[in-house]
Amino acid sequence: MAEIEWPWQYNFPPFFTLQPHSETQQKQLMTWTSLVLDYYRATKQSVLDIREMYATPLFNNTEIKRKLSIEVVQLILDSLLKSGKASPLDKSKQRWLIYWHTLDEW
Amino acid sequence: MRRKPGIGAIHKQKLEQEKYKDKGTEIQENQFEQMTKQMEIFRTNLEDFATKHKTEIKKNGQFRRQFTEMCASIGVDPLASGKGFWSVLGIGDFYYELAVQIVEVCMATNYKNGGLITLDELRERLVQARGKRKEHQDITNEDLLAAAKKLRIFGNGFSVVPIGRGKYLVQSIPGELSMDHTAVLQQASTHGTAYTSVELLQAELKWERDRAQKALDHMMKMGLAWLDDQAEEGNLYWFPSLFTACVDSS
Repeated sequence: MAEIEWPWQYNFPPFFTLQPHSETQQKQLMTWTSLVLDYYRATKQSVLDIREMYATPLFNNTEIKRKLSIEVVQLILDSLLKSGKASPLDKSKQRWLIYWHTLDEW
Repeated sequence: MRRKPGIGAIHKQKLEQEKYKDKGTEIQENQFEQMTKQMEIFRTNLEDFATKHKTEIKKNGQFRRQFTEMCASIGVDPLASGKGFWSVLGIGDFYYELAVQIVEVCMATNYKNGGLITLDELRERLVQARGKRKEHQDITNEDLLAAAKKLRIFGNGFSVVPIGRGKYLVQSIPGELSMDHTAVLQQASTHGTAYTSVELLQAELKWERDRAQKALDHMMKMGLAWLDDQAEEGNLYWFPSLFTACVDSS
C-alpha cells in the first residue's frame, strides 16, 4: 500500500470530533473530503465500506487514539456525492464508490 | 490727593508697552532663528550619521534596537511619520515594509489558525518570505512587536497579546480578547500542549465551572479553539495557533 503524506490536521485530535461551530465545521469537512480523495488516490482504492472503515488508518488514527464517528463519515460522503465524486453501491448506503476524478474527467 | 494720570503719561505708558512688545518678539524671533539653525545642524549631523550607518541600521538588529531605544529616551518616535527627518535613516521604511508583510502573513495563515499566530511562527514565516539576503533575514522579535504595535493605528484589527514567559500572540481579527480569554490562552501555552479544558481552568485559575465554559465557548465561536470529545480526561479544547504541527505546516 502506497504511503500518503498526512496533512497536519490528521494529528490534530479535534479533527476527529465534529466541530460545533459552523464555520470551523465547514473548514473541517472540506479538509476531510479532500483527505479522503487523496487517500483513495494514493492507496489506489475505490470502494469504501462503512462497516470496515476503522480497519484502515484513514478514519482511525491509532497514534493519537482518535476515530472519526460514523455521522461525520456520512457527512463527508454526502458532500462527495453532491460534487459527483462518490456514489453508493447498495441501497442501504453501506458501500461506496470513491472517484478520484469525476466521471466526466474519466 | 492723587492726581489722575494725564494724557502725556498714558501716551508714555503705551509707548513703553509697545517697546516691550517689540523687544519680546525680537527675543522670540531670535530664539526661533536659533532653533531653526540648531535643527538645521541636527539634520545635517543626522544625514551624515545616516549615510555612514544606513546599511548598518537595516542589517543589524542589535544596532536598530539601540537606536530606537535612544530615540525613546529623548522622546522622539522615529516611526511616527514617513516625513519626519528620522526617515532619512530608512528606519521608517523598514518598519512600514515589515508591517505590510506582517499583515500578509496573518491573512495567509488565517484559514487555519483563526487569526491568531504566535510571534515565533510569524517571524519564521517572515524570514522565509523575505528572501535569502542577509539584510532581509536579521529581524528580531522586537522589530516585529514595534511594527505590529504601529498597525494598531488602523483600528482594532491588530493587537499583540502577551501570553507569558516572553511569548506573544499576534491577533489579526477584530473582536476583542477579554482578560479571561487571554488567561485561557496563557493556560494552554504554558503547558506546551496547545489544549486546555474546563477542569484545568478550574483547577489552575480557581474559576467557577460556568466562567471557564463560557470563555471556551466564546473562543470556539471566534474560530480560535476546536473541541475534542474523545480524550480520556473529558472534553479538551485545542488551539491550532499553538499546535506545533499546524505551525510547521505550509
